[in-house]
Amino acid sequence: MSQVTIANVRKTYGSATIIPDVSLDISDGEFVILVGPSGCGKSTLLRMIAGLEAISGGDIAIGGRVVNNLQPKERDIAMVFQNYALYPHMTVADNMGFSLRLSKVPKAQIAEDVAKAAKILGLTALLDRYPGQLSGGQRQRVAMGRAIVRNPQVFLFDEPLSNLDAKLRVQMRAEIKELHQKLKTTTIYVTHDQIEAMTMADKIVVMRSGVIEQIGAPLELYDHPRNLFVASFIGSPSMNLIHGRVEGGHFVSDGGHRLPLPRATAGLEGRPLVYGVRPEHLALADDGFEVEIAVVEPTGSESHVLARLGDNDLTCVFRERITLRSGDRVRVRPEPDNIHIFDAQSGDRVIQV
Amino acid sequence: MTHANVEIGSAGGRRLANTGLYAIYAVAVLFTLFPILAVVMLSMKQPSEVFSWPPTFLPATLNLDTYIYVLTETTIGRMLWNSVFLTACSTAGCIAISAPAAYAFSRLKFRAQKPLLLILLVYQMISSMVIALPLYRYFEALGLLDSHMGVILVYITVEIPFTVWLLKGFFDAIPPSLDEAARIDGASRLQVLRIVILPLAKPGLAAALIFNVIAGWSQFIIPFILIQRAEMLPISIGVLNFAPGQTEGEITIPYLAAASIIAMLPALTMFVLLQRYIVQALTGGAVKG
Repeated sequence: MSQVTIANVRKTYGSATIIPDVSLDISDGEFVILVGPSGCGKSTLLRMIAGLEAISGGDIAIGGRVVNNLQPKERDIAMVFQNYALYPHMTVADNMGFSLRLSKVPKAQIAEDVAKAAKILGLTALLDRYPGQLSGGQRQRVAMGRAIVRNPQVFLFDEPLSNLDAKLRVQMRAEIKELHQKLKTTTIYVTHDQIEAMTMADKIVVMRSGVIEQIGAPLELYDHPRNLFVASFIGSPSMNLIHGRVEGGHFVSDGGHRLPLPRATAGLEGRPLVYGVRPEHLALADDGFEVEIAVVEPTGSESHVLARLGDNDLTCVFRERITLRSGDRVRVRPEPDNIHIFDAQSGDRVIQV
Repeated sequence: MTHANVEIGSAGGRRLANTGLYAIYAVAVLFTLFPILAVVMLSMKQPSEVFSWPPTFLPATLNLDTYIYVLTETTIGRMLWNSVFLTACSTAGCIAISAPAAYAFSRLKFRAQKPLLLILLVYQMISSMVIALPLYRYFEALGLLDSHMGVILVYITVEIPFTVWLLKGFFDAIPPSLDEAARIDGASRLQVLRIVILPLAKPGLAAALIFNVIAGWSQFIIPFILIQRAEMLPISIGVLNFAPGQTEGEITIPYLAAASIIAMLPALTMFVLLQRYIVQALTGGAVKG
């Protein structure tokens, strides 16, 4: 049993409040990703779970045991750092076996455990090397090996892929996910990259300014963002947002353009609203509204089109290859089932169709 | 390395610049080395040659009689041993205290951290001369006069500030995430310092070692004030006893010179042996491995 419970946790530095009040339940074996822009408190929260930062209030429990005042080493966790934090003066094998050495495990046992973890991660040939002799991806794997060897209740990852190049990042993403499927250890992973969050997580926690904006499965967040922040943060290219209001059964943008609404929207008339539609939910259609093409970006598998609707930029993603050029005018129509309406003032979603 | 980077158009010009630079080096080396050479020469002269006119640089005969006399007939061995003992104990003590202190200053956040560091710096600036009199009175009251332990304590105290600052600089260059990784791996703060930080700060430790040894070896005022008994004096004070006039008007300058050279050798040897680390220490911050 290694669920993690975070109850009303606060963090303040002097008079500055980093995290006002956060509660979060993570079940046994779950892969949870904390995501948000830099400075949102996600790393602080992770470091409080690790015991590297003291908490200013509330409770953190790991496996049913409150760990508020326990040292990191007593919490039965392992952490992978952004800069890997490998000990430069120790070999890969010594790095991986360090925790076992500290807890006075017999040498033969350490060698066996290290060999096992090395095999899982494909590090067997590198055990005698020093971290300085490894590539970024290999160092990352050693850092993960060091975590695995300990067989902890919880893995903590602090932006582990941000120092890798794009291609390696995609590869390591899959490796980490596969590793989790193999080991089924509860994992808390911090990133600012929403793609990492979408592709790896069982559950995503979106944070902003120390507050949890929404918790949910990746596709749940994607399809049903609770507010403007989540809507624009999750998804790439991000959701198109157009300010305006409802008038006579239509959404009228501030620039005076009429956009279709899926159904009666009683009670919304007159309020300032935001109309949200994801780029792939816009389709070329003769009965749509007219936009002017600004830029066409063919990616091979799909075409990204940046278009203008009055003053609003509109990104569209089309599956088909299109022959449009800058300056052309086309008609597009949003899929009625995938239109999001938010309150412009609070940012909260007002109707989900 | 620096002179290679001097931007000069032609290869010939560069050679000229190099030659000039080495000429300056040569003058600097000669300037530094000349007094030492003069003492070496002096140490091999007969007493009669010392004041001969016109003065000579080279001795009439090269012989090591004065050295043999100084080493066999005087208490210089005892003084050397005293110096080694005082230097070794104070160096070990100073680093043992300064390393954890520097680690705390580098890693822990606590009230008055910055003021304390500044106080250390200010303390470093106080000359031994200023504290000489009160020190004597205190140590007399404490019964620590004529005691190696007392002298060692003072050496340690005066060397701590610089050593702490020096080591803190090296510790600061080690990423704190290594500490955090080690603490999660199960290490206590002290284990982190011993197993992770100190091995990575080897160049810094070498620099601290050299600084402490040289400072300890050349301490003068403190032992001069605190030690009276001849058999407890370190060599730095001991060479004074070879000064002329103290042995019934006899000319003892060559003996003084020989003793001075002997007194210098251990520190010099140490420096030569460890100079690889000094270079490493001085460039360590710039080129991070």
